[in-house]
Amino acid sequence: MFTFIKQYAERIDGVHIYAFISLFIFFAFFVVLLVVVKKMGKERVEELSNIPLDQEELNQSNI
Amino acid sequence: MQVEKFYYDNKIVRNFAYATILWGAVGMLVGLWIALQLVFPGPFPHGLNLAPWFNFGRLRPLHTNAVIFAFVGNGIFMGVYYSLQRLCKTRMFSDKLSYIHFWGWQLIIVAAAVTLPLGLTTGGEYAELIWPIDVAITVIWVVFGWNMFGTIIKRREKHLYVAIWFYIATFVTVAVLHIVRSGELPYTWLKSYSLYAGVQDALVQWWYGHNAVAFFLTTPYLGLMYYFLPKAANRPIYSYRLSIIHFWALIFLYIWAGPHHLLYTALPNWAQALGTVFSLMLIFPSWGGMINGLLTLRGAWDRVRDDVILKFMVVAVTAYGMATFEGPMLSLKSVSAISHYTDWIIAHVHIGALGWNGMLTFGVLYWIIPRIYKTDLYSKKLANVHFWLATLGILFYAIPMYWAGFQESSMWKQFTEAGQLKYTFLETVTYMKPFYAMRSFGGTLYLAGMVILVYNLYKTVKAGKLVANEAAEAAPLEKVFVAPKHEHWHRVIERKPVQFMVLSLVVILIGGLIELVPTFLIKSNVPTISSVKPYTPLELEGRDIYVREGCYLCHSQMIRPFRSETERYGEYSKAGEFVYDHPFQWGSKRIGPDLAREGSGNLKKSDGWHFRHFREPSSMSEGSIMPSYDFMLLNDLDTSDLSAKIHAMILLGVPYPANYEKDAMADLNIQAKEISDNLVGDSIRVSPRKEVIALIAYIQRLGTDIAKNPTATFNK
Repeated sequence: MFTFIKQYAERIDGVHIYAFISLFIFFAFFVVLLVVVKKMGKERVEELSNIPLDQEELNQSNI
Repeated sequence: MQVEKFYYDNKIVRNFAYATILWGAVGMLVGLWIALQLVFPGPFPHGLNLAPWFNFGRLRPLHTNAVIFAFVGNGIFMGVYYSLQRLCKTRMFSDKLSYIHFWGWQLIIVAAAVTLPLGLTTGGEYAELIWPIDVAITVIWVVFGWNMFGTIIKRREKHLYVAIWFYIATFVTVAVLHIVRSGELPYTWLKSYSLYAGVQDALVQWWYGHNAVAFFLTTPYLGLMYYFLPKAANRPIYSYRLSIIHFWALIFLYIWAGPHHLLYTALPNWAQALGTVFSLMLIFPSWGGMINGLLTLRGAWDRVRDDVILKFMVVAVTAYGMATFEGPMLSLKSVSAISHYTDWIIAHVHIGALGWNGMLTFGVLYWIIPRIYKTDLYSKKLANVHFWLATLGILFYAIPMYWAGFQESSMWKQFTEAGQLKYTFLETVTYMKPFYAMRSFGGTLYLAGMVILVYNLYKTVKAGKLVANEAAEAAPLEKVFVAPKHEHWHRVIERKPVQFMVLSLVVILIGGLIELVPTFLIKSNVPTISSVKPYTPLELEGRDIYVREGCYLCHSQMIRPFRSETERYGEYSKAGEFVYDHPFQWGSKRIGPDLAREGSGNLKKSDGWHFRHFREPSSMSEGSIMPSYDFMLLNDLDTSDLSAKIHAMILLGVPYPANYEKDAMADLNIQAKEISDNLVGDSIRVSPRKEVIALIAYIQRLGTDIAKNPTATFNK
């Protein structure tokens, strides 16, 4: 829908560059993130994911 | 290192929990009431519309605002204040700030609950609140952020757990969204006009609207999921690595999803394809979150059978997965053509609200209350009854609405063999009534479950005693922290909350700015249609009544370029027709027909028809479910703000003649007299001073500009 705006948006000079820039930024960011996550040490990951559980109330029985 | 003793503030958690329950019940009750208004539309006591304060158009924003900002809002704060203290191993930064935050937020809700039924609204969906309340929201939001960052900075746990990232992203993004959407020009102490007009206003609105869903209903609740699901299941989250990817990808992509839906069809074909790819990509981080939640229960599914809290959470996460699969599908052009303006969208948002937000809130409430009262839950059996009522309530709500949506859409689009539209709009409305009744039954079940929760938690609270200050111990952070060698940058920023916030801000601003730059450029690219003129003073007053009564909640003013729509409503809408519309009134749902060309072509009716229709809609359209607006026949039009309104419009760039503020009243009187005289021909005698005259003037204006001269010229 909203094709009626199409002709007007097309008149914005170089409008396609916005889409390209965004895709490129996201892709680059995502690749860096994947590399970082892949290189994280197993022990560290375990330690971090236990943060919420590392407390006294851990042993409280759930209702 | 010596261990320090400190106390968690449970009182503030209790307060927010109570507020969540109270406003949840209110929001759901209003929702049920407006659902029943569509089944019993007459004036009270024959129907459920209590004009003017409790008509559908005024109550619907109350429902949406109550559920989003009061129920879910307080739910967020309850969960954040509980989990943040424990994840940071410290008390909240300032009890005073917590107190101001709590009472400030409740006052805002009360102010909304009073102003919306009074018809004080800005007319933008989910952003209806008037400008003084917008200012108050900004102040209280800053108080919340201040308290949150103060707590994070004085923490005793070095690393910020993933839940806290979601809280930070929520704080930053909601602030940006709220400020941009609240761009208004006040003309009195209570009223204002949107700074943006027409297409631009629509793009800002849906950039805001969709991201309010993203960063108010989704990211903070994902934070709660990452804390409370592992707590309830007593096991760590399935994949911490996945949570990092999930978080960054989600906040990066989500900010795109709003105007994106409007914009990508406005772009060339290759760009539309790219836009679709972006929307579809959003499935991956969303499902990353869902999978992370559900797989946390791997090997513990047997416990889900017995643990009612886990049951609530599993349904919540599943509903999240369903809604976030459906969302990208709905943003496909071909699906949108069917779903837009129909009850399909109502079903979709209620899967999110009742399923994801509601069920997770209930799970967290059942988990927190017994703990802060140091007792057991009063009745697991009642909690189970609540669970089943809520789950069935969602199904009874959603299934009829999906069905209704498909039916509506197909009935709107069907033609006879002779090439005529097969159904009148009214036929499609009366066809919907049984579905609306079934939906109300689903809502009743869900609300009944809420009543059981109130009773169960009341008995639990009675049996226990609030531990207002819960003792805890932890070692302080080392003053000088030596980072391990070869440490990854993500681990570094996980220790630095301010840098983390800045990075989150940059990430959401990239998407936001790339979206908004073309949005603002569009203004200079919208063609001027020479025959489109500013509203006359009487039409402007009438338009403000249209906004006040929430007409846009049932009537769209946006004809899409489909044959089924142009046959029914006339020429499809052009961007240049809306350049003086502060705010835009395109609407998002057609409970009633589109009104974009109500004053022109085949749709034009006499002034007398409109007069009688406002007095009693069903007298002119048999079977209509529109409420009566007979009070407008009695109320005098308040023109005391007219010159301020015209002045504000001139400031916003609407080309009225210089000093027109002074002449506007005379023009208003002349036009009102014309309509009043015209009505005499229809055997109706009414003073030209009445509100209904202004509204008739506005309705009769709709769509007439383009009928005069449809040629457009670009100002480029």
